[in-house]
Amino acid sequence: MPFTDSILRPGRLLHDGRVRGWLAQLAIALGVLGLVWYFVDNAGQNLARSGVATGFDFMGARSGVDIDFKLIEYGPDSSYARLLLVGIANTLFVSAFGIVLATVLGFAVGIGRLSQNWLLQGFSTIYVEAVRNVPLLLFVLLWYYLVIRGLPAPRQSIDLFGAGFVNNRGVFLPSPVAGAPFYAVPAAFAAGVLATLVLRRWARARQDATGRPFPVFEAGLALVAGLPLLAAVVAALATPWNWPALRGFGVRGGVAVIPEFLALLAALGTYTAAFIAEIVRGGILSVTRGQREAAAALGLSRRQVLRLVVLPQAMRVIIPPLTSQYVNLVKNSSYAAVIAYPEIVSVFVGSALNNTGRAVEIIAITLAIYLAINVSVSLLMTWYSARTATAAR
Amino acid sequence: MRSMMTKLAAATLAALVAGPIAGWAQTASPGAKSATLAQVKARGHLECGVHTGIPGWSFPNDKGEWSGLDVDLCRSVAAAIFGDASKVKYTPTTVQQRWSVLSSGQVDLLSRISTLTFKRDTELGFNFVQINYFEGQTFIVRKSAGIKEPKDLDGAAVCVAAGSTEERNATDWFRERNLKINIVKFEKNDDAIAAYDSERCDTYTAGTGALAGQRRKLKNPADHVILAGTISRDPQGPVTREGDDGWDNVIRWVFNGTLIAELHGVTAANVDKMRADSRNAEVRMLLGADGNAGQILGLSKDWMFNAIKQVGNYGEQFERSVGMGSDLKLERGYNQLWTKGGLMFTPVLD
Repeated sequence: MPFTDSILRPGRLLHDGRVRGWLAQLAIALGVLGLVWYFVDNAGQNLARSGVATGFDFMGARSGVDIDFKLIEYGPDSSYARLLLVGIANTLFVSAFGIVLATVLGFAVGIGRLSQNWLLQGFSTIYVEAVRNVPLLLFVLLWYYLVIRGLPAPRQSIDLFGAGFVNNRGVFLPSPVAGAPFYAVPAAFAAGVLATLVLRRWARARQDATGRPFPVFEAGLALVAGLPLLAAVVAALATPWNWPALRGFGVRGGVAVIPEFLALLAALGTYTAAFIAEIVRGGILSVTRGQREAAAALGLSRRQVLRLVVLPQAMRVIIPPLTSQYVNLVKNSSYAAVIAYPEIVSVFVGSALNNTGRAVEIIAITLAIYLAINVSVSLLMTWYSARTATAAR
Repeated sequence: MRSMMTKLAAATLAALVAGPIAGWAQTASPGAKSATLAQVKARGHLECGVHTGIPGWSFPNDKGEWSGLDVDLCRSVAAAIFGDASKVKYTPTTVQQRWSVLSSGQVDLLSRISTLTFKRDTELGFNFVQINYFEGQTFIVRKSAGIKEPKDLDGAAVCVAAGSTEERNATDWFRERNLKINIVKFEKNDDAIAAYDSERCDTYTAGTGALAGQRRKLKNPADHVILAGTISRDPQGPVTREGDDGWDNVIRWVFNGTLIAELHGVTAANVDKMRADSRNAEVRMLLGADGNAGQILGLSKDWMFNAIKQVGNYGEQFERSVGMGSDLKLERGYNQLWTKGGLMFTPVLD
């Protein structure tokens, strides 16, 4: 062993490639750490000298700012820490819906680009090229002005058959007076998922035994979507409602979905979908033609070929770049600051930073939160990817 | 928005880099009265932070030349230091950037309709040198809405810039009266104004002076009206970093000088004649005919002579930028000299 040799003869240690490699890595690591320390130390000294207040004590102080779209209890008397939570919740909210929208639309367009139907194929191609070559900032502003200019002023609100209103201040829907009965909805959703899993297992066993297929997908969809819907209807009948009404400047009562949310969701969803479409197309093309032909030779329909043979194999290629797109979407939600959707950058880097002046602290917190969210997304996707991967050959 | 984060990160980085240099310069020239003044002189121009663009306050024309009342203060200071009012480099700043840009040392002076508040004066580490504009916050609304005073805005959607004093003032004022408003906050004033113009909001709120300027950006300014009542007091003025008293003195006395000039009737047109003929002791001191006020500040004898000759006295600046000689047509009001019923009461040059 050359390594033990060099331990016995220390003079030759430096000639050992591995030892030199370690030393180089150690030197670089120390250099980076030293540089970071230098900047942190310098920033601290400069802040102290300039008389600017520092530290995180501001997090407990009264914020004095209000938010018109919040998922958790909040008011001007709440603390900056609470304000941060409102921002995080709003970021997660728009990102989650955006990811769902982008995925559904992206898969549809990506598969559409490979369709035999030239109209569908042409439309999908135009969509991808038109959307992905536009800067996202312009896209966000375009959607925003489409929404607020396209919808009528409050006095000319569109009436949703007596159930609510739509105008350029948002979509106003009735809200339940008591929320408790609605806990049945997520419970029903969980039950639906569980039932589908059981059903799938049973269907597989039966198909293996008898060869008779069972429409698991359709039945699962009915369970996963239908059960919560049923629960929602029951809950809706069980509780009184707070109806929105046109009054004064706009609409009072009920729950409002602000136009900034709709615009941002539409922008993020449709924009990211164009990139996802290309990823899906690439993934499907990576499955060799022989697989399709073999599946067709076994008598599978075109849909079955896509669903049972092509997509499962394509997914292995699709997942890693798809993760990047999800992470991008979360980061891009920070474009909300230009259109007044109160997510973390708008409320924390905007209002809180300007009111407290703690630039370094607030930027650091915000960066840490984006990092945490996106690392979680990546880990989740890696887990899913590992679960669906075929055994290595 | 990402660009905002990038700018803030850049400002933070600039603070890390510029801080030690500024600190070194401070210790290296102990003879100078003001480290900032010494830096400005060595650099050959003044770095002035201004608003990204409001007509009447700080607004670039199609040739990139800035004008406005806030810009005139920068120009007066440059004229007093260099004898040339054009030796200013302007840095347009948004509501969010302004404090980082100033505290990082990117600008020597922030002249950007910013309200003097306790926190900014203490925790943020700034000095509000003098007040050059007194006003209050109010609202602009569409004439068709039939609103007479701020409390009629119950239930309205209000467009503001995130983190401005206007945001907090409006929130607190309506809450105190048990009225409800929906605050819609944008990164920039311009985005907020554009959203108001697109009828996303029923009103946009700012100081009376800023509103008069912003109104000119609307598609049909005549369709809008600025409410007469105000909901706050907003003393505004030039801001510097804490810790350089000599520099504060320069800014303060250049501004005071423009008021003293107006008080004694010294204008851009008659300043030569006044320096030669005036028998008023304060005027002679101001224009450098007697005494050494300029030298005491670390400037030339001609400091205020140059400033008045090139930029005019406060009254001239006001009328030209925001007053009756401009499109804003603002009354002097509080900003009139105390001798004519206003609040502009200036210290004595002796």
